Amino acid sequence: MTNSLKSKKMSTKTPKILMPHILCVGLSLLFCLPFLWMVLTSLKSLENVASIDWWPEIFHWENYKSVFTIENLNYGRWYLNSLFIAFTVTFVQVFTSSLAAFAFSRLKWKWRDRIFLLYLSTMMVPGLILMIPNFQMMIRLGLVDSYLGMILPASFSAFGTFLLRQFMMGIPTALDEAATIDGASTWQVFWNVILPLSRPGLITLCIFTFMGNYNSFFWPLVMLKSDHQFTLPIGLLFFESSQGQQTNLLMAAITMAVVPMIVVFVTLQKHLVKGIQMGGVKG
Amino acid sequence: MINKNKSDTLRGLAFLSPNILGFLTFTIFPLAFSIVMAFSNWNLSLHNMFKEESLQWIGFDNFANLLNTDEFWKYLKNTLFFMMGIPLSIAGSLFAAMLLNSDLQVKDKKLRTHFIIVTLVIMGVSVACISGVDVSPFFYLITLLIGLFFIGGLFGGISVYRTLFYMPHFTAGVATFILWKKIFNPETGPLTQFLQPILNGIHSVAEPLPDSVFYFLMGLTYLFLGFVLYKGVNIIRKWREDEELGLGGLVLSFVFLSIPIFCIPSWIQWSNLGTALTIALFLIVFGSLLIGWNSFKTDAKSWDDGLGNAVMLSMGLMVLEFVLLGFGELMYNFPEMVAQGLNTPNWLTEYHWAKPSIMFMGFWASIGSNQMLLFLAALSAVSPELTEAAEIDGANNFQKFWNVTWPQLAPVTFFIMIMAVIHGMQGGFEVAKAMTNGGPAGATTTLEYYVYEEGFGGGRLAYASALSWILFCIIFAITLFQWRFGNRYVND
Repeated sequence: MTNSLKSKKMSTKTPKILMPHILCVGLSLLFCLPFLWMVLTSLKSLENVASIDWWPEIFHWENYKSVFTIENLNYGRWYLNSLFIAFTVTFVQVFTSSLAAFAFSRLKWKWRDRIFLLYLSTMMVPGLILMIPNFQMMIRLGLVDSYLGMILPASFSAFGTFLLRQFMMGIPTALDEAATIDGASTWQVFWNVILPLSRPGLITLCIFTFMGNYNSFFWPLVMLKSDHQFTLPIGLLFFESSQGQQTNLLMAAITMAVVPMIVVFVTLQKHLVKGIQMGGVKG
Repeated sequence: MINKNKSDTLRGLAFLSPNILGFLTFTIFPLAFSIVMAFSNWNLSLHNMFKEESLQWIGFDNFANLLNTDEFWKYLKNTLFFMMGIPLSIAGSLFAAMLLNSDLQVKDKKLRTHFIIVTLVIMGVSVACISGVDVSPFFYLITLLIGLFFIGGLFGGISVYRTLFYMPHFTAGVATFILWKKIFNPETGPLTQFLQPILNGIHSVAEPLPDSVFYFLMGLTYLFLGFVLYKGVNIIRKWREDEELGLGGLVLSFVFLSIPIFCIPSWIQWSNLGTALTIALFLIVFGSLLIGWNSFKTDAKSWDDGLGNAVMLSMGLMVLEFVLLGFGELMYNFPEMVAQGLNTPNWLTEYHWAKPSIMFMGFWASIGSNQMLLFLAALSAVSPELTEAAEIDGANNFQKFWNVTWPQLAPVTFFIMIMAVIHGMQGGFEVAKAMTNGGPAGATTTLEYYVYEEGFGGGRLAYASALSWILFCIIFAITLFQWRFGNRYVND
């Protein structure tokens, strides 16, 4: 009796459970198709690239090796440049932002709120406005086409300070008061109490900054002139415009450029999703 | 005491100093510099290393010149055209979020094994079928992927699908734009290879049909458009009657509703019949507004009541109008097109197709984006008691969504919309640079691209600065709009 009831309930429930799954699988597949084509094409031979069949006749894994040895292209160098710049900017920005956020959220001083308001109000300004004067400044400083010119302007952000400040405001003050009573200096409170507690916020900011700089396009395009200084986006653009007919190699290059992003995303997505939703809801 | 204050300030500044030094140098100073620049005549062809003419203050001349050039208005229109995809992509994000919000994870172990076994059997059978017909191994891969996604979804629920949905947005950048450029390739791209056989099929079906079928379809489209407009205006009228809509919302929604007739002739070569029908339609709608003016009178408290609602509704209707008008025009031209043979367009290199192609890619990248995540967060905050109560009262799924869920999503939708608009106003450079170089004939040049071209291509620094400040003013106005009405909207 109970068994048949249960199976009846199950059979009416089945389509209701399955329907969203089928739609989700369909959508996922649609979203993945371009990536699928990218990977499969990167394994084809050049003559085979235009064939209607997506499947490569023979798998040319050596395409991935030959990307690094194409004449006039410094793919390996670009890769390193991109990673180096993104890592350095992330490190410097997270460090300076957390210091500033600490000053804005934990210390009480005279002009604190006014300066914070100044930070806030610049967040609305489009980055585009800053490009032209910043570039003129880089020319005067002789930093065009250099790593320093790429790293410096990206390293100090009002957004990062804001994000971390919001996060630190959520940490109960009782904790650092207790540490102060125990004789900790301000620096110790920052380094040993607040910083470890704001780890989720720091990770979120790390992801945002790393991704933003790994993918950054406008500023490098303006700044970088010589091909050994290129970052991946600029390099890929150069590749496409100079030797874009080699579709298979181009796809191999793009695949390798996308892989770090996917790795970052899959390993850290929990923090990322939380960060975006938190930032959005607080608005 | 004074001493303590002083040391506090010093300590605060010490912690702040690394950040604020960079902030002052790379944000505040350039900002001020840029304002000054916008009022000068700084141009690299006049003021460079070899030729040092003194800078002159030319007041608002840059701004005045800008507003007088055709380019500015053309590129503004391009930018707005791209932004018309926003309501569609938001709707897509909402759909995806609602899918993910349904109870995906199957916790009942027995049921789950049951599903997995069935899936494996179906996969096995389809692989067996495929291997009988000798097709490309690609189809094995697809079968495998479908099975994998499904089983992953059964175990992981939302997190598996969310990862897959979010991937296009997360990786979006020059790399994926170049990928799409190859996909859009008119000769060897997979999109053309996929669509051409379908078009050939349509061609063989459509060729024997008399032309009148298509004219009939065109008429049907216009009738449907009339119906949609009638419904929309009626909703607005009802809001007015219920004293929920102030004058501002009324005016704005009619502005949005009438945008298509002003825009279309300048974007596409519109047939005479199409133009006449469109104009007639709008005359009827607005005529009915004038004639039935009395029922539009209201006692709404202030002019900005229900503004957010009205904007959302009329934006949605506007997109629908564009789609329907486009479809009607397509039907009108179809017999001629069939006679010439149906071919896929040259996507990115064809003037009228470049923008829609890029927008298509934009949907791929933006449906599973932050918008979806924000909707997900908002959906999980919708109280289940309300939907359950509606269910008990006998509401169907659509009614539940429209009357219970949607009103609760209104604030977040409004926020997403504003963010997307701000983003859209100052966007489009990266895509256009990677895919089309702003062409063909400036079809994909947005305002951001224009700033790049003027400032870094042409060296007209002052002019580009003025342009970017105009952009800022537009964005600032939108932000003010959000502050003013977003909060009110949340309180409603």
